[in-house]
Amino acid sequence: MAARGTLPTATRSICPLCGAALDAELIERDGRVVLRRECPDHGVLEALAYGDSERWRDVQRYDRPGAEPLLRQTATHEGCPSDCGICPEHAQHTCLGIIEVNTGCNLDCPVCFAESGTGHQPDGYSLSLAQVESMLDAFVAAEGEPEAVQLSGGEPSIHPQILEMLSAAKARGIPLVMLNTNGIRLARDPRFAPALAALGIHVYLQFDGFDDATHLAIRGRRLQEIKQAALDRCAAAGVGVSLAAAVERGINEHELGAIVRFGVEHPAVNGVFFQPVTHTGRHPAFDPLDRLTNVEVIRGLCAQLPEWFREDDFVAVPCCSPTCRSATYALYDGEDLVPLPRLVDVDRYLGFVTNRAVPDLEVAAALSGLFSASAAGGTERTGERLECVACGVGLPAELQGIAARGFMVVAQDFQDEWTLDVGKLRKCCVGEIVPDGRIIPFCAYNAAGYRKQVRADLAAGAIT
Amino acid sequence: MTGVLPNGDLKACCAQLYESDEVLWLLDGELHPGGERLTLRLAELAGVAPGQRVVDIACGRGSTALLLARELGCETVGVDLGARAIALARHAAGAGARASFLVGDAETLPLRDAGFDVALSECSLCTFPDKSRAIAEMARVVRAGGTIAIADVTADLDALPAALRTAAAQVACVADARSADEYVALLRDAGCEPLRIEPHDAELRAMADRVEARLRVARMVTPPGEQRERAREAAALARTAIEAIARGSLGYALITARV
Repeated sequence: MAARGTLPTATRSICPLCGAALDAELIERDGRVVLRRECPDHGVLEALAYGDSERWRDVQRYDRPGAEPLLRQTATHEGCPSDCGICPEHAQHTCLGIIEVNTGCNLDCPVCFAESGTGHQPDGYSLSLAQVESMLDAFVAAEGEPEAVQLSGGEPSIHPQILEMLSAAKARGIPLVMLNTNGIRLARDPRFAPALAALGIHVYLQFDGFDDATHLAIRGRRLQEIKQAALDRCAAAGVGVSLAAAVERGINEHELGAIVRFGVEHPAVNGVFFQPVTHTGRHPAFDPLDRLTNVEVIRGLCAQLPEWFREDDFVAVPCCSPTCRSATYALYDGEDLVPLPRLVDVDRYLGFVTNRAVPDLEVAAALSGLFSASAAGGTERTGERLECVACGVGLPAELQGIAARGFMVVAQDFQDEWTLDVGKLRKCCVGEIVPDGRIIPFCAYNAAGYRKQVRADLAAGAIT
Repeated sequence: MTGVLPNGDLKACCAQLYESDEVLWLLDGELHPGGERLTLRLAELAGVAPGQRVVDIACGRGSTALLLARELGCETVGVDLGARAIALARHAAGAGARASFLVGDAETLPLRDAGFDVALSECSLCTFPDKSRAIAEMARVVRAGGTIAIADVTADLDALPAALRTAAAQVACVADARSADEYVALLRDAGCEPLRIEPHDAELRAMADRVEARLRVARMVTPPGEQRERAREAAALARTAIEAIARGSLGYALITARV
């Protein structure tokens, strides 16, 4: 595919109604970027791809060539997105692997891309420890030394062998092992947070805001006390937490600043991930041309916390497609918060400023690790990298400790059936590891039919 | 507007301030907006060519004089009021550099008449109490047909908030800056023919941003007390400057004139 530096740009997508693979185009309209295609059966279909066409053009320079995965798992038959595992056309290795250990949950959220829940699901599953171990082995075979893995679900904390599974990931030398959880078990089971602490697990906690209306709309229950209790137990046990907020137009857009303010103050929390709701699986009614992208999330946050953030504090993460993820790190001392990119010319170190030499390769390598899909705030590796950057750019020694505790803020726009853009997908570095060992780009797994297929295969006993 | 500090004190204060390690840290090593890129742009506008003689007024630790000698093959002389800066510049130059350095006052340059093809003043004219005299001195040391090249903060003083007209702001190049038109008028008064004004406000904004962020982290690492409050106040002042840049009452420009 040609370089994606200009608009319009040709790409491929699918029909959100019937799943047919279609030619598509990214076009500029009213200063925004729209993904447009025409289905022979369902007509013209459009969705907002990115909220600002000028910024879209600007971030394309972050579209750095990907790294080669060690393995190609599938052959090219029909072309992207129909040949996943890591196929010969895929243009990036996997920074972050995701394993969904079950489909059962202790909540029935109105928003759930994984279509999990408390009731009986005809295609529900719960993986065995042996299955998860073989999936981890497949990840190691594909990556050599994987950086990060996240156990998810369903609600993984209710799997009876979740601790053994997390331990199996740690035993394979993966530095960042995360548990993606709603926090109910953390709040209720006093032994759980200490057990995670003993294994060195980082918690990725769903945390959508504070208003009852937010909780009811997204989770179907008032959960604020549970979230608070879960976080306090993590703090007491010494477990680091990233807050993960599903953000939806008209529901919790107004809580972005409050979530960050809460996060920087809570001793367990080291970062916030804002994820515009993906309209796949269960979700509220929505307008595909008025959805949230990273642009709207970042602007909303900056408008709510103008004393701390502005748009250019967020760096387009170069390992995936640059419109997928934007991130910043913030130095916070209890009174003031200063984003790291104001102190370090990140573009210059990462080589996005032409005609200027990279000043220090060690700092560049550290920044490259920080602005990656495999990074989370508050982990040992992130701390070391921030320390290296702080020292490399001459921040005073007293500040280096504050810098090393850098608070991470991320906007991550996953794709759904409406927004699926093969050009982005080929560069995807977040991989769903499935029981037969294939690694399927996370957005293809959700939007291109793989999730349904894997669940059907598991239910039919095709994979054991 | 005249200086709010006695003139002699102000010049010494500026020279001392800009040679301190703390200020170099605040500015991330770039003593003027746009860094080397804008320095080279200024030299380009001035038509600096290999073999020419160039004098840099208020040269600090000599980075511009050394850059031009290295990149453009000209012969440079740097003059600064700060003895420590000149010592450091000489040290940085080492033996064999086509750059030499002198301690001297911009208002009475220790240089003979008409000895240079180009005189540069980068982000320094704004701090000189007697700007007419400093420009007249530049015109004196440049040959007829040579060029004066100024890179400086531009300010619409009437629109500038009071906080930016204090002594602190004067040392930080703001309170006694002039509009581009006023600099041009000063050049005309010295008998020079103005050639070009090129605005670069974005580079000033980037520098003010960097200073503001670094002052905020300076507050973070300073123990509670008077110093800490000064860091806090300085950061607030930097924010006022950033707002003034956004409103267009503060900017940065490259200005050239023929002698």
